[in-house]
Amino acid sequence: MIQIKDLHKSYKMGKNSLHVLKGINFNVEEGELVAIMGSSGSGKSTLLNILGMLDSSDSGEYILDNVPIKDLNETKAARYRNKFLGFVFQSFNLINYKSAAENVALPLYYQKVPRKERQEKALKYLTQVGLKEWAGHLPSELSGGQKQRVAIARALAAEPKVLLADEPTGALDSKTSYEVMDLIQKINDAGNTILIVTHEPDIADMCKRIVHLKDGVIIEDKKIEQVRAEQYV
Amino acid sequence: MFDRDIWQEIYHSISNNKLRTFLTGFSVGWGIFILVLLLASVKGMQNGFTLQFSDDATNSIFVRTGTTSLAYGGFEAGRRIQMTNDDIEYIKRSFPDDVEYISPRVYQNTSARYKSETGSYNIQAVYPDHQAIEKTIVNKGRFINTNDLMNASKVAVIGRKVEEDLFKNEDAIGKFVEFNGLPFRVIGTFTDDGDDNAERNIYAPTSTYQKMYGQTDHIDQIALTYNPNYDLTEALAFSDRLENVFRRRFKIAPKDQSGIRIFNYAEVFEDISNFTGGLDIAVIIVGLLILLSGIVGIGNIMVFIIKERTKEIGVRKALGAEPWSIIKLVLFESVFITALSGFIGLGIATGLLAAIGPSIKTGAFANPSVSMSMVVTATIILIVAGVLAGLIPAMKAARVKPIVALSDK
Repeated sequence: MIQIKDLHKSYKMGKNSLHVLKGINFNVEEGELVAIMGSSGSGKSTLLNILGMLDSSDSGEYILDNVPIKDLNETKAARYRNKFLGFVFQSFNLINYKSAAENVALPLYYQKVPRKERQEKALKYLTQVGLKEWAGHLPSELSGGQKQRVAIARALAAEPKVLLADEPTGALDSKTSYEVMDLIQKINDAGNTILIVTHEPDIADMCKRIVHLKDGVIIEDKKIEQVRAEQYV
Repeated sequence: MFDRDIWQEIYHSISNNKLRTFLTGFSVGWGIFILVLLLASVKGMQNGFTLQFSDDATNSIFVRTGTTSLAYGGFEAGRRIQMTNDDIEYIKRSFPDDVEYISPRVYQNTSARYKSETGSYNIQAVYPDHQAIEKTIVNKGRFINTNDLMNASKVAVIGRKVEEDLFKNEDAIGKFVEFNGLPFRVIGTFTDDGDDNAERNIYAPTSTYQKMYGQTDHIDQIALTYNPNYDLTEALAFSDRLENVFRRRFKIAPKDQSGIRIFNYAEVFEDISNFTGGLDIAVIIVGLLILLSGIVGIGNIMVFIIKERTKEIGVRKALGAEPWSIIKLVLFESVFITALSGFIGLGIATGLLAAIGPSIKTGAFANPSVSMSMVVTATIILIVAGVLAGLIPAMKAARVKPIVALSDK
């Protein structure tokens, strides 16, 4: 699903240039649930930004679902993001004046899906994350865990190839975190490819594979026995 | 393009910042309000001027002669220039395409008597064409006709005031009235919109008076109207030609102002339209400048809104919003606020004018109003203004990098 070859990225900081990614190589197969770990400054967020087409690499190859991702202008990047990727953020990033259902329907709006179909799909995905009754509520009326579940439903609504989650449990307490991880595991069980950036080991253990970054290189890439979050809920 | 989502966005943005939106919208509405009122005032002045002159045909020219003040063509200064009936025929022959109506005027004072009532009046001895030149409104009987002129009939068309004075409650038509002792039959009475004094005039055939007073063919003045299709330049060119021809005919020095005088209403209108035209431009500039401050205000607010919503825009982009859809959002909001507040200002201004405009009629100011084309122009200006106000903020919004907007750690 994802092939990355010799990916480099550096940021200019005044006269100095900061080499953040120093040759990343890794592949993700369809249906995987990968945790990307590392301390802050290890380059994990930069990697996620490049995977998410929010940032571009200096050199190297990035192939997503057999489409080489390169030479992106704003419009093209927006289209690819919409078509291939679903984002889940640490701070949820729901639009505060739109109801849960409208938030979920937003990526579909940018896909130019007709209004009625958007509403049906939004409701379907809200049902999947267990928030059907909350469809008409504004984000301010939801708890943190509920907000993140709405965000996950929104990421799923566009039916992306890959789900990218940036510290999805970072702003949640442990019980809610496990609930969210339980949901993510179930979505993965259904065959979705998911990448999670986290620095919490217990969250990483709930994935199927852990990629460890340090100083811009992968120091460890191992498949693990998945810990099911269900048992903690 | 006008789907519900965009309206929802605009509604949200406006309802979250009601006061701010109102204050900015007010400046645009106020700008349009003032622009419309100013333009209507200029229109009112134009109407006023036109009204003052519309009593006479506005395409009329008057030719008067006097005494020369310069020696010219072998003649000494101080020569009296006298026009005759021939000059009328001469003009008709020389300018067949230019002249519409033409009539001489012979002035005569008379004391008039009917039964025991007497009065002193001015008589103008004219041709039938004169009715069209002076826009004389004959309310009873008829005006002088060609027969009267050929037969030098002793007939008169008297003003309303004259009839009032001499005939009291009697109907003057068909009655005989004495002018300086000679009986004239009243064939018509007339009214005049211009003033009461004009209604103290009496019209009689030119030939009658020329015969009565010494068998001359002298005339005091020539009044004529030119082709009504002429625009200002053509009208002025015609009176110039006319003047040149007369100066040559009577051998008057080109610079002699007292030998001959040609008065063309077009000159007055040229002055007026130059004046109001200049005023129009000044008013438009002032109005647009006022509007500009409103536009800057809206642009300013939009920049703020974008700044506030940077994160939201970042999220939208991460979800697949193309730059154009972001630009569209901002532009629509800007155009919507500008157009809505502008229309309110326009509506109030036109409403006000429709309500009180027609009742305003003083001297040189009458019925200030706005034309449909002005309203349409204002609308176009508003929409363009809205786009301009939103353009810079929209570009700014489109440049928001999702990566920056989302870095919340």
